[in-house]
Amino acid sequence: MIAQYIANGLLIGSLYACLAVGFSLIYGVLNIINVMHGSFVVLGAYVTIYCTLYLGVSPLIAAMIGCAVLFAFGYLVQRHLINEVVTAPIFISFTLTFGLDLLLNNAMIQAFTATPRSLILNYGSITIFNVSLSIARLGAMVLALVLTGLLYWLLRHSQMGRAIIAVRMDHYAARLLGIRVEHIYAITFGIGALMAAAAGAAMAVVFPITPLLSGVFLGKAFVICVLGGLGSVPGALVGGLALGLLESFGAVVFGSQWSTTVGFALMILVLVVRPSGLVGRKGFE
Amino acid sequence: MANPISKCTLPLLLGGILILGSTGLIRAADPIRIGAPLSLTGSLADEGGKEQQGLDMCIAAVNAKGGVKVGADMRKLEAVKYDYQSETSRAVQIVQRLLTVDKVDFLFAPYGSGDTKATAVLAERYNIPMVATSAASEAVYDQKGKNLFGILFPNNAMVQTEVKYYKERVPQAKKLAVFALNSLFPKAIAAALRDTAAKDGFEVVFDGLYSQGTLDFANALTQIKAGNPDWLYATGYIQELIVIRRQMDNLGMTIPIVTMTAGAAYPEFEQNLGPLSNNVTTNAWWHPSATYKDSYIFGGAEQYTATFKEKYKKEPTYLEAAATAGCEVLVQSVEKAGSTDPEAVRKQLSTLKFETFYGPIQFGPSGQNAINSPMILQIQNGKYAVLDPQAVKTGELKVGVGTK
Repeated sequence: MIAQYIANGLLIGSLYACLAVGFSLIYGVLNIINVMHGSFVVLGAYVTIYCTLYLGVSPLIAAMIGCAVLFAFGYLVQRHLINEVVTAPIFISFTLTFGLDLLLNNAMIQAFTATPRSLILNYGSITIFNVSLSIARLGAMVLALVLTGLLYWLLRHSQMGRAIIAVRMDHYAARLLGIRVEHIYAITFGIGALMAAAAGAAMAVVFPITPLLSGVFLGKAFVICVLGGLGSVPGALVGGLALGLLESFGAVVFGSQWSTTVGFALMILVLVVRPSGLVGRKGFE
Repeated sequence: MANPISKCTLPLLLGGILILGSTGLIRAADPIRIGAPLSLTGSLADEGGKEQQGLDMCIAAVNAKGGVKVGADMRKLEAVKYDYQSETSRAVQIVQRLLTVDKVDFLFAPYGSGDTKATAVLAERYNIPMVATSAASEAVYDQKGKNLFGILFPNNAMVQTEVKYYKERVPQAKKLAVFALNSLFPKAIAAALRDTAAKDGFEVVFDGLYSQGTLDFANALTQIKAGNPDWLYATGYIQELIVIRRQMDNLGMTIPIVTMTAGAAYPEFEQNLGPLSNNVTTNAWWHPSATYKDSYIFGGAEQYTATFKEKYKKEPTYLEAAATAGCEVLVQSVEKAGSTDPEAVRKQLSTLKFETFYGPIQFGPSGQNAINSPMILQIQNGKYAVLDPQAVKTGELKVGVGTK
């Protein structure tokens, strides 16, 4: 049974990791708390669901469409709205994203209604060594891990990625070196939105989606970023898996109703004992 | 001799003026206003929408027959609606506003046991009758007020019927697992079931709670699986129940009887789960297949269902029906009382027995409907079969949820 609990924890943990990595990137590079993150996840999930149901494409293609749509949306929102306040104190940008989130969330409630919707994919489950694993959740886990890995590779080994890191280190110096900082900011925000959409696509396969879940997703992203370290992709991964395992065992030891509390309690503990997070350093990768 | 015409003229003229004058005096009387706080957005938006539909059905039907007869006047019925966004604090504010600013004649309670209990206090303070159409927990009615009237009969009656039914049909079922959402109604009905079942010889192998916003039930379900129960009773609202059923399938769980409430009685449950919803049982306070007759509006359950389907293109559940019935008993009480005076209407509400398409309703001393008509339903191949009461059943219990 312990193996099943660990498996459960890892399955949900990788979804959590994908959920948090976009949020962490935006916070790390732009120093913006993107309150819209939860709504981006939900929007990505909806695009995936509707494309699968009405365009008849496979969920994977629908997920990519969702990622593309959210990337464009994130880019535009940052370039034309958030860019105005990106160098202002963090509270200003927080208020702006909070207001934008109210707009986005309520627009989604109007457009999609609050009735839960999901993708009914009956892929079944497999059992390995007495541990039951849902194929759909395994697929979601693979998607989440692959995208997180891709992002990590992008940041370390591509021109764009190094430009993003440079802007994060010192945006004045980056500008002097010829990097178009506004463009980089917008790209980063777009990537954050894209990862949120990917997480949403993964979620759509396992939970019924409603716009009212955006607050739950945002809360989880926040906890994971604190646990793992802000602005770091490995940090989000570690934080996500850690939270997944913690909630899993917390549910067993204390009861299901305490699993969210356990997560937040640990977040407070980490803030007190090791504020930079389990993996984060006071620097950049 | 006086001209006979001129002799009649004056009386005729006076008579004519009187008749014309009195028709002028029969101006339209003010409408009767029901204050309705509705959760049209937020986590209970689905349920709030259903309540609104039920209320609108009643208002349309009553107004179609000319309105409410109050003494000598016919007055139209109308609702003053506000969206409280599924937030209890906002529901309380809105009820306050309905009472002090809009000065409505009567109140409808918000959705669910928790919000109903919170706002009932205001109805009591302002002495305005409030009809609760979606609160079944006995705890809602224990505040010793006299203004709250609940259409749904108590949880206890429901669970007693369920325990009796399953014990008779599946006598070899001994182990019970209870998994409840940590919210007023789901927690209360799960506790009631657990206690009733334990007294009746069931062994409770799992008894757990989960909080709102839980995204992953795998661990609790793993524990439940280890206990090997014969009957799983899972409570919550529709979103959680869908995920629970999915994850049960992920973990390869097969259990003879799986009962889910509330939310499994709504068509969205079956739509979201597809074949996974097969053989899941649930309970309901009413069902379209009921055979109740109603001489006041609609004529009976069948006609109500037909009218509802025509208007909204879907079948009504007990939620819409209870909302319609709540409005109906209010209107009937006003007519019997001959006025909208709260005291007079309250007296009628407390004493009358109403025969409605929803079933017989008579409010007991606590204000809750004391006539119990629990229904047990099962989803069989995408359709709801009524298992109980025997008089209206449309199918027999199929044992085994999750069998391949």
